[in-house]
Amino acid sequence: MNKTLCTYGLVLIMGMALIGMPGCSKKSVQSGGDSQATQGMAKGGSSGSQDSPKSGVGSFPDTGVQSSGGGLRGLDKNPSEERVGGGTLLAKVDPSSSAGRQMDEIRAEQAASAAAGLRDVLFAYDSWTISEDGRQALTRDAEWMKSTPSAQVKVEGHCDERGTSAYNLVLGEKRAKAARNYLVELGVGANRLSVVSYGKERPSCNEHTESCYQQNRRGHLVVKTGK
Amino acid sequence: MTQAKLISALVGGLLLVAGALGILESGAADVFLEATRPDFQKISLGVVGIQNAGGPDWLGGRIEEVLKKDVKRSLVFDLVDLPSLGIKVHSLGTGMESGARAAFKQAAENGVSVLVWGKAGLKEADKEADVNVEGFVYDTGSDEVIGGKRYAGSPSVVRLMAHRFADELVFRYTGEPGIARTKIAYVAEHGTARELFVMDYDGYDARQLTADGFLNLMPRWSPDRRFLVFTAYRNRNTQDIDMIELATGKRWTVISLGGLNITPALSPDGNFLAFASSHEGNSELYRLDTRTKALQRLTVNPSGDLSPSWSPTGRELVFVSDRGGGPQLFLMGSDGSNVRRLTFEGDYNAAPVWSPRGNWIAYVCRMRKEYKLCVISPDGQKRMQLTTGPGVDDSPSWSPDGRHLVFSSTADGKSQIYMINADGKDIERLTFEGTHNSAPSWSPAS
Repeated sequence: MNKTLCTYGLVLIMGMALIGMPGCSKKSVQSGGDSQATQGMAKGGSSGSQDSPKSGVGSFPDTGVQSSGGGLRGLDKNPSEERVGGGTLLAKVDPSSSAGRQMDEIRAEQAASAAAGLRDVLFAYDSWTISEDGRQALTRDAEWMKSTPSAQVKVEGHCDERGTSAYNLVLGEKRAKAARNYLVELGVGANRLSVVSYGKERPSCNEHTESCYQQNRRGHLVVKTGK
Repeated sequence: MTQAKLISALVGGLLLVAGALGILESGAADVFLEATRPDFQKISLGVVGIQNAGGPDWLGGRIEEVLKKDVKRSLVFDLVDLPSLGIKVHSLGTGMESGARAAFKQAAENGVSVLVWGKAGLKEADKEADVNVEGFVYDTGSDEVIGGKRYAGSPSVVRLMAHRFADELVFRYTGEPGIARTKIAYVAEHGTARELFVMDYDGYDARQLTADGFLNLMPRWSPDRRFLVFTAYRNRNTQDIDMIELATGKRWTVISLGGLNITPALSPDGNFLAFASSHEGNSELYRLDTRTKALQRLTVNPSGDLSPSWSPTGRELVFVSDRGGGPQLFLMGSDGSNVRRLTFEGDYNAAPVWSPRGNWIAYVCRMRKEYKLCVISPDGQKRMQLTTGPGVDDSPSWSPDGRHLVFSSTADGKSQIYMINADGKDIERLTFEGTHNSAPSWSPAS
């Protein structure tokens, strides 16, 4: 078992322990416009139960600034020797097996999605409206899902490289949810669909051209494999 | 020069440039008055040289080169070319020799305020494991060698020695810690994965921090420089906010509420984490008390709210909301009160970052279909565009002294990381390797 998994496990335990704390149970105002959206959303892997989302808060170290001046000692007429060390700030990265596992899982998902013949839904610039072509693609996807009742599908929202990383994550989520909502309208069970936004961070095409941008502005349907 | 004077001088310089280029689009009358104030003067400084005293051939030259670039980037000093003034002395010893006196006189006559020189060698002959560097500083005003530094360490840290010396110079003349030892965290592509890296502020000495093979996005520093907070994807399906300790590489999840959890930003005192989360439906802003774990929702709106950035006092936040259609910048109290819109020009304004000096907010503005860097004053009165031309500019981040920004741009094709002065001058490319480098975040000063 590698270190990363251990760390996650530890965090999870800490997170669970926090459920009972008074600060965590503080209820927030419910959102207005998009509240149905959480229904079909996947809660990641083994995280806390559906009805106590505030369990998802981990531990925080004290990160306030303890001292200033940054170790500068000033110029000195008779300077004493200062030893300069390197590499103390940054640990060497721990080569984890996670990268290999991720690659294997991505390949398995791609193979399953290709076998299912799932189609992407494409979007216009700055837009998350499902076009007529998009409706047709999603109608075919919905038919496959109804004929394959065991399948769980993840709808990924993607954007082209224009715009900021951060806003494109929000835009990508809007696209994924628009596609998910249309599939639900077509009769696919919301509990079989999850959404995730990758913004402009996982482009399928890397050229700076409009045809490439169009390929990247997509809702991409992926058949979930494994757990 | 006092700190206040420097700040006003910097602003004056900024406005002068903006006015000259005619790119100011609002508040022009106010600006013009300020631009006529000619009180901004850098301190002229000459680097005589770092003499090689028995070390490897590259040693003195390397230190001298790093030091000169640091001095120039500080924007506190005006790096003068000594040979063009007829000052050719290679070493001034300890500054007591007669040759040194002649050079000091020459410098004073030519308006050079500070002379810097030194030597670099091995601590013990034949022992390359230990490098010795000495630097001296002469000040024309007081007409004396005001002091020096002596550093020792392995040859692998000579850049750091030069950075330290440069920061001492800035500290001596401004009382500020300087930026030469600051770091930049960023995202680099490895295959289809995006991993976190940290490099020196000048683009050297990049180190990889994560290796999980998927997406790690938009890192931000803790105020004490010991940690980064960033967006990660657990099992590729759920977005979390993770934290990593730089010294140990230890990493853990701090926010896993479900849905989109992005754009974390720790308050200047480290007591709050502001972030965007869609776990209650659409993307909203939240504030977590990092001590009590109390979670407070700051925005209530059916549109997307994201990208909070703290004012230096911690009392206000600037953020992005598309409640009016396209993304625009808004301000609010850090408790969610008193929300008001800041940007009105253009249909896409995003990725705001509040200057550590408080006087500017940098952001990405869409101008003539291109995504460029803009700055706006928090009162909305002054605004200017810093970059022009093709390419998508993204993720501006301020240097801790407020005199520079680092950002990513596709101006040269692939996304790479660049530094630019806060007045839009002196663009310097920092990354050259790899297919994609993005989301730079400048560390606080140490």
